[in-house]
Order: sequence, then C-alpha cells, then structure tokens
Amino acid sequence: MKIRHILLILTAFLGAALLVAVAFQIRDELLGYQTAERMVASNTVRERLLLGTEALANERSQTYVLLIGQRNEAGGIAELRDVRRQVDDLLNAAENEITATQASLSNTNNSLATVSRIRQEIGTLRQQADQSLGLAEGTRGDQFAPRWFQEANRLVEELQSSRMTILQRERPLDPVLRTEANLRAFGAILSESIARNQALMSRALENSSGVGGFEIDAISQNAGRAALAWELIDGQMTVPLSEGVKDVVSRTHENYSSTFAPLQRSLLAALIGKVPPTLAPAEWYDLTGRTLSNIALMQRELLGSTRERLEAELRRTQRSLTLWSALLLLGAAAVLTSILVVRRRVVRPLEGLSQAMLRLADNDLEIPLPRLARADEIGEMNDALRVFKANAIQRQRTQNEKQVLHARLREAYSQLQKDLEAAAVIQQTMLPLSSRIDGVEYHGLFRPSSLIAGDTYNVVRRTDGAVGFFQVDVAGHGAAAALVSVACHHALSQAILTRTQGTPLEEIAVQINDEWPEDLPYFTMILGEIDSRSQRASIVQAGHPSPLVIRSNGAVEMIGEGGFPVGMLPAASYERLEFDLGPGDRLFIYSDGLVEAEDQDGEQFSEARLRTLVHDTAGEPSSMLLGKLDDVLRNWRGSETLDDDLSVLMLERLAERIPANAVH
Amino acid sequence: MLSTDLRDNVLVVRVEEKRIDASKAPKFKDEITRCIEAGQNQIVLDLSQVDFIDSSGLGALVTCLKRLGPKGSLAVAGATGAVSRLFTLTRMDRVFALHPNVDTAVEQLSA
Repeated sequence: MKIRHILLILTAFLGAALLVAVAFQIRDELLGYQTAERMVASNTVRERLLLGTEALANERSQTYVLLIGQRNEAGGIAELRDVRRQVDDLLNAAENEITATQASLSNTNNSLATVSRIRQEIGTLRQQADQSLGLAEGTRGDQFAPRWFQEANRLVEELQSSRMTILQRERPLDPVLRTEANLRAFGAILSESIARNQALMSRALENSSGVGGFEIDAISQNAGRAALAWELIDGQMTVPLSEGVKDVVSRTHENYSSTFAPLQRSLLAALIGKVPPTLAPAEWYDLTGRTLSNIALMQRELLGSTRERLEAELRRTQRSLTLWSALLLLGAAAVLTSILVVRRRVVRPLEGLSQAMLRLADNDLEIPLPRLARADEIGEMNDALRVFKANAIQRQRTQNEKQVLHARLREAYSQLQKDLEAAAVIQQTMLPLSSRIDGVEYHGLFRPSSLIAGDTYNVVRRTDGAVGFFQVDVAGHGAAAALVSVACHHALSQAILTRTQGTPLEEIAVQINDEWPEDLPYFTMILGEIDSRSQRASIVQAGHPSPLVIRSNGAVEMIGEGGFPVGMLPAASYERLEFDLGPGDRLFIYSDGLVEAEDQDGEQFSEARLRTLVHDTAGEPSSMLLGKLDDVLRNWRGSETLDDDLSVLMLERLAERIPANAVH
Repeated sequence: MLSTDLRDNVLVVRVEEKRIDASKAPKFKDEITRCIEAGQNQIVLDLSQVDFIDSSGLGALVTCLKRLGPKGSLAVAGATGAVSRLFTLTRMDRVFALHPNVDTAVEQLSA
C-alpha cells in the first residue's frame, strides 16, 4: 500500500469516526428533544383537561344547588351560563390541543373520543337539567338533582381518568416533574372531594333533620378522602420543589386546616348528632367555593411550574441539538479540508517527487522536476532532488567528454600505431634478404625492441667487384633512433657505392664522423668489405662489438679491439683491420642488444655464452645457426620482447662458385 | 642517484645506481650539467657502484665532457667489468682519464 493511500485512508477513517460519534450524539439529542416536545404537548393537554375537570365540578355544584332550589334562579342561571361557557371553552381547548399534538402524542384518538363523548353527554344532561329548572317546580328539580349529581360525578371521573391515562403514557423522569404531577393528581382528588361536599353539604344544611345516614356517609367519606389527599400531598414535599410551589401548597394547606376543615368537622358532627347546624347553606357554598378557588390557585401554580420546567427543557434540548448539528457541519468541513490539504500538500507533491526519482533512476535526465517553493520536508526533498539531477547532468556531461577524449586518444594512438607499422614495414624492406653476391653469401637476424629499430645493416656490391657491408646501432632505441638508422643506412650505402677507387675504408668513417650533426645521437658500426678476388677482408670497428670469425674448420676468433663511435667526437680517427677470410670462413657481426639481452634475473646473455653457442653450432649452415640463436635468446629472455634492438649479419665466403639464386 | 663530495677543490660525484641506461641518462646528464654550471671544472666520477652503462649512458657521459670544455677535466674512477670493457671498446679510455679509485683520481687532478 502506498503512503498516499495510507494517509488518505487514515484521514478519512478518523473523519468518519468523528462524524459517527457526533451523529450518535445528535441522535440522542434529537430523541431528547422529541421527548421534551412530547412532554410539553402531553402537559398542555393535561393542563386543559385539569382545568376542564375543575370547571365541570364547579358546574356540577352550581347546577346542583339550582336544582335543589337554594339559589336565586335569575342570578344563578346567569352565573351558570358563564360556568357552562367556561366548561365548553376549556373542553374545546382540550380537544384542539389534543388534535394539535396528534403528531407528537400517541393514542390521541381515544382521548379525543372520550372528550367528545363527555361533551355530548354533558349537553344531554344540561338539557335535562334545563327542563327541570324551566318548570319552576321545586319538586321536579329536586327529583332530578341526585341523578344530575351522579351523572356529573361520572363525567368528572372520566375526565380525570382520561387525564391520568395520558399521564401514564408520558410519565416524566424528572423527579420534580413527577412530584408536581403527583401533587396535581392529589390536588384534583382534594378538589373533587371538597366540591362534592360543597353540593352534598349544601343540601344537608337545607334540610338537616331529613338527612339520611347514606348522605352523611358520603359527606364523611369525602371529608376523609380530602384529609387523605392532604397526607399524600405532604408526603411529596420532601422533593426539592420550587419556592413558589412550596409556598402555595403550604398556604393552601394552612387555609384548609384553619378554616375549612374544622368547620366541616363541626357541621358533620352536628349532622350526626342531629343538632341543627348554625350555618346557612349559602354561606357554606361560598366558603367552599373560596377553598376550592384556593386549591385551584395551587393547581395553577403547579401547572405553571411544570410548564416552565418543560419549556426550559425543550429550549435546552433545542440549543443542544443546534450546537451538535453545528459541530457536525464543522467536523465534516474539517474532515473534507484535511483530505484536501493532505492531497494537495502531501500526496500530490509526493507522487510528483516519486515519479521524478524513478525517471532519474532510469537515467532520464530530461524529466522536469515539480515546482515547489516550500520550506518543509517535501520542499527539502525537492531541493535535494534538484541538486541530484544537476549533479547527474554534470556527471553525464563529464562522462561524455571523457568518452569523446578517449575516442580521440584511441584514434590518435591507432593512427600512430599504423604509422609505426608502416614505418616498420619500410625499415624491413630496407634490409637485404638472404642472398649471395659474387661468392659471398649473407644472412641477417633483425629483432627490434619496438616496431621500429635503431639497428640496421646492408650488403652492397661495389663497382670494383668487392662486397661492401655494414651494421649500425644508433644510440638509444625507438622512433628517433630508427630515423637516424635510416639516415645512416642511406649515407653508408651511398658511401660504399660511390667510393672512388683507392679511398681507404677508414676514410669513409672519418668523413661521416666529421659531417655528423652534433644534435643527432651517435652510432656504433662495423663497416667492412670482402675482396672477391683475394682471400682477404677488412673492417672498420666504430664502438661496435668485436665481430667473430668462424673458420671453416669450426674455430671461432674475435676480431678487433674497439674504436670510436661515429658522431660522438668530431676529431675521432679510425683504423682499418685486415684479416684472412678463406673459403668456408664466416664473419658474424652483431649489435650489443645480443650480448646485453637480460634474463628474468637481470643477467646478461654475455659474450662468453655467445661464443660457446657459436662454437657449438659452427657446423650448421648460417640460416640454421641464426635460427638456433633466435630460439636460445627467446628462451633466455623468457618472453618475446626485448629491451634493446638486436641484429646479426652473417657473411660467408663460399668455397666455390655456386649459382646466385641458390640459398641455404 | 648522485652524491657529491668536494675534496681538494675536486668535485667527487658518486653514482649510486647499478645501471646508467636510457631511463636514467637524461637525469644523470642534467645533474652533472648543474654541477658544471655551478663552476666546477675538476670532476671525478665514481663509477664503482655501476655495473652497466648502455649507449644512452655513454652518450650522456660524453655530453658532460663536452660541456666541461678544454679547461676542465672529467676523470672516471672505479670502472670495472662491463663498464671498463665499454670504455675500451668505444676508445673512451683515451678520452676520459681512468683511475682505479677516487683517491688516485683526486690526487691526479689536484696536482
């Protein structure tokens, strides 16, 4: 996997993890918000129902006292109309609220059906009550009153229970909210108990003597229920409720305990004891009404507190949701930005550098490098690559130049070598091949130390019938010596050919020595001639090794003791040496390269070894002798090369005349 | 390659090589020439350590002698074996004053 993949995957993975975490949080917040919304809706519906229930209880009492004829009918009925309108308004509002919250609350249809049925039934009951009141006959109204009370009770209870059903479905988890809900439930029981007794006690006070045990039981039960409700309310007060709620509860309880409860107790005791009560029914009714309105105040306070809390919770969840959503957007933007930055600042430049490196490694120096003006690591890598490329180009240029130079050198060397080879060929052609002239046979051995040599020799027939010869060894070796040897070759050959009769041999040497330019290297030589008519031969030895004479009987003699080299000293003098060279006798002339040839230990071949070899092979023909000498020297050297030029010229006076073209 | 020693106004040049051949001749010639140009004209060349002199070496020797001119003298001491034979073969024994050792040569020149 490449770095760019790792980087991108890593960034994407981190981003995805972040977004998933935030998304989960948002989901939780959304659920919280929906719950809060549902709570608010449920609470609003229940609030309407509670107020509706209170209003219905009030209508029940009002209608009841009208039915039993305790109220001034004109004022009572007007008041009743207001109460009925209130009930209708509140139930209508509850219905609307349920419809409005259908989206967030479940099972609203049941509640809606219940409320609408209750409204219908109330409508029927009201008609019946109006009919009873409309006849203005106390008896008939009085007869309908218990049934009205009973039916109204039922409807109140149904409203209560529908409220409780809604509460059960959406029970708040917050302890304060739960407690407030409980307090409202107990407050509703309290309110209902008091409201019932408002009606029942009014009737009992009207006709205290005619009150049955059944009625007294009912009043007593209601009173007990109210007391129980207060106990339950007190039991809830341990929870940290708001100051306003605590205050209103304690005030209501105080009011109840100090005024209503003792009065109700004394009235009930009077009823039980058949003692005529001291309170008029209307007074009781009003007093109860005040107590009820106190309780209603308490309920409103509770409702307000709950509403505030729920709305606060709704706002909190709303804020939270907004915050997390913003965070989600921010996170997504951050992830997207990181991916883009990683791509742009890291991945792309890395790809560019990597490709450039690979191309450079393939020796592609044409590849353009990425243009990055950056001070970070990638910028440094790019700078380093730029230097690397510049160096590579420089190196290649140097290498090319070297190659060109090398090729030129090779060419020049090969040209030089060709020139030298050509020169060597020319030098070789200047040397005489084995042959014979007028009874003198000659053979040569010529081995240059490089291609061309400073040694040379020649055999020339003179016009007077003598055979002239020479061997030259120019000081030094190589091209300079070779050129000089060519000059010597020409000068000596011309001198032999053009020598006027009677000029002594040594005179030639003196002339050449005198005319020899001082800047040229000197040379040693043997210059000689063999008289074809006599048995004599003569030589001039100029610094050259003393030649050997191999007699026809095999004896070996050394001729001469030395002489000045030519071209060394201007005033040098030379002597001619005459000696016998009879039929079958051979003259062996050599350059110092022969006796000075060293073996691998640095020992020279030496004159002594040469004489031994010549002595041992004296019976062989000249060509054989030279061949053997060559072999022995090669063995002596242990290689094919020589340090100095080597040449041998052998001349033999033949015993009798043999045709010129026959050669050994 | 050379070591010099001034004895009785005679410069004794000792050749500390076994051979004077083509590879050493130019340097040999330059060093002796330098001595001559420094004003020395009585020189004894001690060849007792030299076993072999080739044609280039001999040429260098003669060049030095020519540089010295007629007023100076270049004596050779301690030449033996092949070196001695070379001097004989090329008649250089008639050109250079040969002495068996340095002492005799110095004595001869300073006299």
